[in-house]
Amino acid sequence: MQRLARELHRWWMRVLGLWRRSLQLRTVIVSLALSTVAILLVGIYMSVSISNDLFNTRLNQVLAESQRATSTAQRIFDSSVVTDRAGVQSVMNAARQGIRDSSSSSLIAVYRAPSANQNAGLAPQDFSSPELSGVISSDLRTSVQNSADQQFWQSVNLPLTTGDVPGVVVGSRLTIPSVGQYELYMGYDFAQAQQTLRFIYGVLFASGLGLLILIGAIAWFVARMVVTPIRIAADTSEKIAAGNLDVRLPEQGQDVVATLARSFNHMAESMQAQLTALGTLSVMQQRFVSDVSHELRTPLTTIKLAADVMYNQREEFDPTTRRTAELLNAQVTRFEKMLGDLLEISRYDAGSVDLELQPTNFASLVQDVAGAMTTLAEQHGCDLSVSAPGGHFEALIDARRVRRILMNLIGNAIEHGERKPIDIVVDSNATAVAVTVRDYGVGMATHDLELVFSRFWRADPARQRTLGGTGLGLAISQEDARVHAGQLDVWAAPGEGACFRLTLPRDPKVAIGHSPLELPETDSSAGETR
Amino acid sequence: MGARILVVDDDAALAEMVGIVLDAEGFGVSYCADGEGAFAAFAEHNPDLVLLDLMLPGIGGIDVCTQIRGVSGVPIIMLTAKSDSADVVAGLEAGADDYMVKPFNPSELVARIRTRLRPPRTESSSNELRVGDVVIDLEGHRVTRAGTALNLTPLEFNLLAALAAAPTQVFTREMLLEQVWGYRYKADTRLVNVHVQRLRSKVEIDPDNPVVVATVRGIGYRAGAVSS
Repeated sequence: MQRLARELHRWWMRVLGLWRRSLQLRTVIVSLALSTVAILLVGIYMSVSISNDLFNTRLNQVLAESQRATSTAQRIFDSSVVTDRAGVQSVMNAARQGIRDSSSSSLIAVYRAPSANQNAGLAPQDFSSPELSGVISSDLRTSVQNSADQQFWQSVNLPLTTGDVPGVVVGSRLTIPSVGQYELYMGYDFAQAQQTLRFIYGVLFASGLGLLILIGAIAWFVARMVVTPIRIAADTSEKIAAGNLDVRLPEQGQDVVATLARSFNHMAESMQAQLTALGTLSVMQQRFVSDVSHELRTPLTTIKLAADVMYNQREEFDPTTRRTAELLNAQVTRFEKMLGDLLEISRYDAGSVDLELQPTNFASLVQDVAGAMTTLAEQHGCDLSVSAPGGHFEALIDARRVRRILMNLIGNAIEHGERKPIDIVVDSNATAVAVTVRDYGVGMATHDLELVFSRFWRADPARQRTLGGTGLGLAISQEDARVHAGQLDVWAAPGEGACFRLTLPRDPKVAIGHSPLELPETDSSAGETR
Repeated sequence: MGARILVVDDDAALAEMVGIVLDAEGFGVSYCADGEGAFAAFAEHNPDLVLLDLMLPGIGGIDVCTQIRGVSGVPIIMLTAKSDSADVVAGLEAGADDYMVKPFNPSELVARIRTRLRPPRTESSSNELRVGDVVIDLEGHRVTRAGTALNLTPLEFNLLAALAAAPTQVFTREMLLEQVWGYRYKADTRLVNVHVQRLRSKVEIDPDNPVVVATVRGIGYRAGAVSS
């Protein structure tokens, strides 16, 4: 029972889905429903008028016949002069024969009217065809008894031998001289009219059904005519959205669909032109950045060599020149690093970055980088601690890029860590490896978190860069993570420090389920950006 | 008098500065500012090593490299601004031994030059090594197959000697980079790939089925078994 209900539900959902999805189906069904109502209304009107008309025609005919028969019978009675009971009876028989002859009906009943029995001795017996007994209502009889020279009728079901058929009974009064008043009833069946009506109903129903089927087919065809171009347009837009800018709609004729196709194609054309122009511009800009970076390299090499030569001889200089040589050397190094970062970013912008994936022990890599930065951390009074519950296996990563991310994160933690300890945690799960670098330094406001990966952004412009960062470090780190199909998240709170989390897939082809490590949570909504 | 070095670079300031650095290290330096004159300058000065800028006006560095390799196995170090360009590979394939990306440190430059000028060090006690069907004469810096000398550059000789000196050892590219090129940190493995190809084209009878320098799939290279 439950299974049946479920089955029904599923079936219903499928129908509902089809209804929602298919404009064509909806059009056909709505057309059919409205047409059904219209046809039904027209059919009802037609059958009612036809049956009324049929009935009235037959009724008039019946009334006329009945009138004629009544007159005939009255004439027979009027012309007879009888005094005895047998004579009256024979006149009555003659009258009955006359009624039968002048009317198409053999259903006759004659009752003596109760109000007029002047001469009961002569009065003939009541007579009734068996079919009429029991169908003549007392209302009809009362009407007939109370009114002379008037016809009354009543719709009845006549129990004929072939079964009940609809019909009418017409009643009127006869006056038999010297005997008194009699009621005459004649039954007429409407079987013929009924049959005609039934035939007409049949025709009406059949033509209504045929019309509905035709309308359904027409609606389907018309909907198809209208929907097909729309569907083609939808498919084409989908293709364009997916990046295939070369597809176009077929333009045929002068109608509204053709107009749609033309304007659509026009739109696609101008969009493609703009995108191409934009793409060219972007490529040109990227190439420009790349070219500038490269062109700067030759003079920078000369400067660097010169600065180095001077730096190596600084002991021979006077103190001012010595300091100058030191500054020159340090800033040339910084400038070189910036140029390198700029070039790296321009490489990412141009999309010309190839990963060199190789199996690398993630935990060892983190420990290695942390070890290499211990001296720097000690110089800044920070204590680096690494704990690695997981990650002791070979993940498929580009070690050079991951090392760069780690150096950047740890460097940032040292710079902003305010001489407090820095915790580095490595862990892994079935799909991913992750590392968090947590400092307890100045931290950041929530609204700054979204900017932290922006190029050349500084948490506090007044703060001095002690480690000579280029302002591109986190932007490059984020690109490095992204190109691994990984992610770089950040949590921070003012005064509580910051936590950066790098999550990388074990295999770039397998998506990360969730990160093995959690970011800290604050009472206020933890800002987390990707 | 130290080794003679030819600096081919169109940037006069850089060439002069490199000259100052090398001069201070005791090298004899000569200059050439364009690709057209490079080969003539090479022939004239007969240097022990060439520093060659990859992007030269006129004849490019790669063509100069090919010209010099046509007559000499002298060590060539390319100077380039772009490390990731196809030009680097093209330069290596044209026969350059090593390359340096601008901007470089003077100490790094000097170290690279010294590595290239240094004779190969092998701990082998004998003067002769065998690999496949070729014989390496360490003393005479000659490689022969069935008595016929094979014309290897010093770098190719070093590479082959390094492999042959430890015939049972499988060398990763990183190990070869350290031993032959003197890189102590991870460097560009394209150097190894390109030069192994160049070496094979000279020592193998069928370079498509190498027997002297065998590939160990997924790891690196090793010397082929000695055959008579």
